[in-house]
Amino acid sequence: MKKQLLYTWIALIILTGIVSILSISSEYNIWIKMLILMVSLIKFIGVSFYFMEVKKAHIFWKFSIILFAALFLIISFL
Amino acid sequence: MNSTTINHKSIYYPPGGILMWIIIYLELITFGIALIAMVYMGDSEPEVFHNSKLLLNPTYGVINTVVLLTSGLFMALSTYEFKLNNNVKFKKYIGLTILFGLLFLIVKSIEYYAKINAGLYLGYNTFFNFYWLLTLFHVVHVIVGIVILSTLYFKRKTKKLELVDVEASAAFWHMCDLIWLLLFPIIYLIF
Repeated sequence: MKKQLLYTWIALIILTGIVSILSISSEYNIWIKMLILMVSLIKFIGVSFYFMEVKKAHIFWKFSIILFAALFLIISFL
Repeated sequence: MNSTTINHKSIYYPPGGILMWIIIYLELITFGIALIAMVYMGDSEPEVFHNSKLLLNPTYGVINTVVLLTSGLFMALSTYEFKLNNNVKFKKYIGLTILFGLLFLIVKSIEYYAKINAGLYLGYNTFFNFYWLLTLFHVVHVIVGIVILSTLYFKRKTKKLELVDVEASAAFWHMCDLIWLLLFPIIYLIF
């Protein structure tokens, strides 16, 4: 459990680094912007599932978090 | 210290409790709508938003992301130690969570000080209206989170703590992480 939390944190830090590097090379490209937001929402799901232990919760809560992230991404780029 | 197990597989008992999760969704929807509004306003004023974004220092944003994620790790570890009835480690990790929360506020204060000195107040333009309102609203949540965690830290000496109290406090703290993970890319990176 402790190791899993630590690995999650390492993954989140790496994803933060990736997002920062992507933003430097963005050049107003819509796809890069979408990628930045997608990676950020993966971090969002990572925090929910592992730090908040949503992965242990009822499927309704897992589904609702993923649905929120998906809707946020889709509506942002409509 | 009372770490009675809770059946989180029940739809009514997500980690932190259903009431806390109703609050979390209300907050996420509120911030989500405001951020989507910011994206749409950015489409109508692309020059203003791009030039304003260049006035921000994304290094502060990256540092604060790392600080909040680290505090989230400590919060998760403290909940884990509480379940194991490990009082000393629980206290240590809660203390570290509060410390990183305070560090977030210090970095944010430095950033705000720089913006105020540069004359980039609320009302400067649409981008900075969103910047100030969203980040200040988030800062209020972080301050409330620190108060809740401090209560938990000191309460454990005098009263019995229930697992549900620890999980609800942890859920509130992680909510601050979640909101920041939505704010950071939109305010600091995408315009």
